[in-house]
Parts: sequence; structure tokens; C-alpha cells
Amino acid sequence: MKPIRVKELIIESLSAEKDTSAIMNELEESGVNYSFGNGFHDKVIDKIYSASLTVRREVELVRSMNTVFYRIALTGAAAIIIMLISIFLTEGSLSINSVFGLSDSYNESIVCMLTGN
Amino acid sequence: MVKESYSNLDENQLVRAAIDGDKNAFSQIVDRYQNMVARTVKGMLGDSVFSEDIGQEVFIKLYYSLSEFRGEAKLSTYIQKIAVNLTLNEIKRRKRFFSMFSQKGNAEMYEFEVADQDHENRSDAKELVNKALAKLEPKFRIILTMRMLQGYSTKETAEILDLPLGTVLSRLSRAQEQLRDILNKLS
Repeated sequence: MKPIRVKELIIESLSAEKDTSAIMNELEESGVNYSFGNGFHDKVIDKIYSASLTVRREVELVRSMNTVFYRIALTGAAAIIIMLISIFLTEGSLSINSVFGLSDSYNESIVCMLTGN
Repeated sequence: MVKESYSNLDENQLVRAAIDGDKNAFSQIVDRYQNMVARTVKGMLGDSVFSEDIGQEVFIKLYYSLSEFRGEAKLSTYIQKIAVNLTLNEIKRRKRFFSMFSQKGNAEMYEFEVADQDHENRSDAKELVNKALAKLEPKFRIILTMRMLQGYSTKETAEILDLPLGTVLSRLSRAQEQLRDILNKLS
């Protein structure tokens, strides 16, 4: 295609009323086409799916850690409940003081305990 | 599913399969739209290896935003918007780089884009088109790319660029004026 015709097509493509798909086809036939290299498709797929595999592994790690911490929290809660029940059985009642183990403690004895005198 | 059967699926079926983790479905999307993305990215940034990186970024971004695609617009429009945003960001980045490190600024940026192109497989017509594109301001270059390389109507161009139709029409006429000057100077 002669350069003058190419220039005409370029200018025509900016006319609002022109059918640009016809211009695009004419330019394509004269060698104005764009494509990526041969390995483009594989590179994209490799990047995406190798990255998502890493993300998936990270998610699995976080999930397994959550499970472990959940179990630890459950065990802790169970221990607290057992302790409360044992306090109830030994003291005969379950008051706030008995929960904190202060039922037989007086202010003076706490001072003695803390100061060692 | 057999790989060949993916070519028969429509874009919504492909998107749904890709969201469900079907690698072949996403592979089909890349196959179907890579030339469209190449026209936008290479039209805007020149026929260089850097354009391939931006092209890859377009599909990576598409993959991670597929769940946001609601199917109200065509998938090609959605991909085109991603490609336009990434190329315009790249132009801004290059502009910042060249204005910081070079006294010639934009002029050198255009030289860099043209010099980096693949000379062996280029026709005279393509060389002329590339030179014209490279000399246009980015806001006009994107309009020319959408019209001349993608064959979009003014309405479709406005939709993809998120611009009012009036703005597109005024940019078309201003780009035409600028192009006349540029093409007169080109041999």
C-alpha cells in the first residue's frame, strides 16, 4: 500500500462518521497488525497458576494454624470450667471471691503476703 | 472437559469456569483476547518487549478481578478497560522517569519507544502508523488506537475510555488536526 493511502486511512479513522472496522481491515491487509511473541500465552498461564499455587499454600498454612490455636483455646476454656467446678465443690458455693481464690483472705493478710512480714 | 470444546463456550461460561479454577477456561480467554490486547498495548507503547510485560499484567489483573465481572458489559470491553488503564499508567510512569533523568523529556521518551521496535517484521505501512502514533499526545493516541487499530465506534470508544461522547468527538477533531501536521512532516 502506498504511504499516501496509509496517511489517508489514518486521518479517516478519526472521522466520527466513518466505519473504522473497514479501515482496520484494510490496514491489517497491508501489514499493520500487532501480536505478542510465541511464548506469551504460556508465560501468562505460568505466572498466574504458579502464583496462585503459592497463595493457596499460604492460605493452607494460615488455616492449619487457626485450627491449632482453636484447639488450644478450647483446652484453656475447658481447664477454666473444671477449675470453677472444683472451687464450687471445695468451697460449697461459687462467689466472685472464690473464683479469684480470695474467700479466706483479708486486706492485712494480703499485705503480709506481698511484703513477706 | 476436552480442550477443544472450550472454543465453543461463550464468554460468560468461560468466566464462570475460570472463577471456579478451570485453568483451560482461562487459557481460552487469553487465546481469544491476546491480539486485541496486543493492538492496544503495542499501539500505545510501541512494538517493544516492555509492551509484552504490560500485556501479561493485563491478563494477570483480569484473572484476579474476574469475580468482579458481572457480565453487564462484554468481556472484551472489560479487558480493554484494564489494558487502557495499565498502558496509560505506564506512559505516566515513563514520563516521570524521563522528566527526572533527561533534559530532552518527552522527545527522548518517543525516541526510546520507536528505537526499541522490531524492525525486521515491519511493513512500510506499519512503520508509518507506528511513527504517527508515537508522535501523538497520549490522550489523542489512545483515541486513534481505539478507532484505527480496534475499529471501535465513537460510542464504544467513549464507553471504554470512560469519557463523555462529546469529549471523544472533540478529541477526534483535535487529534485529526495534530495528525495532519505530523503526517505532513513524515516522509
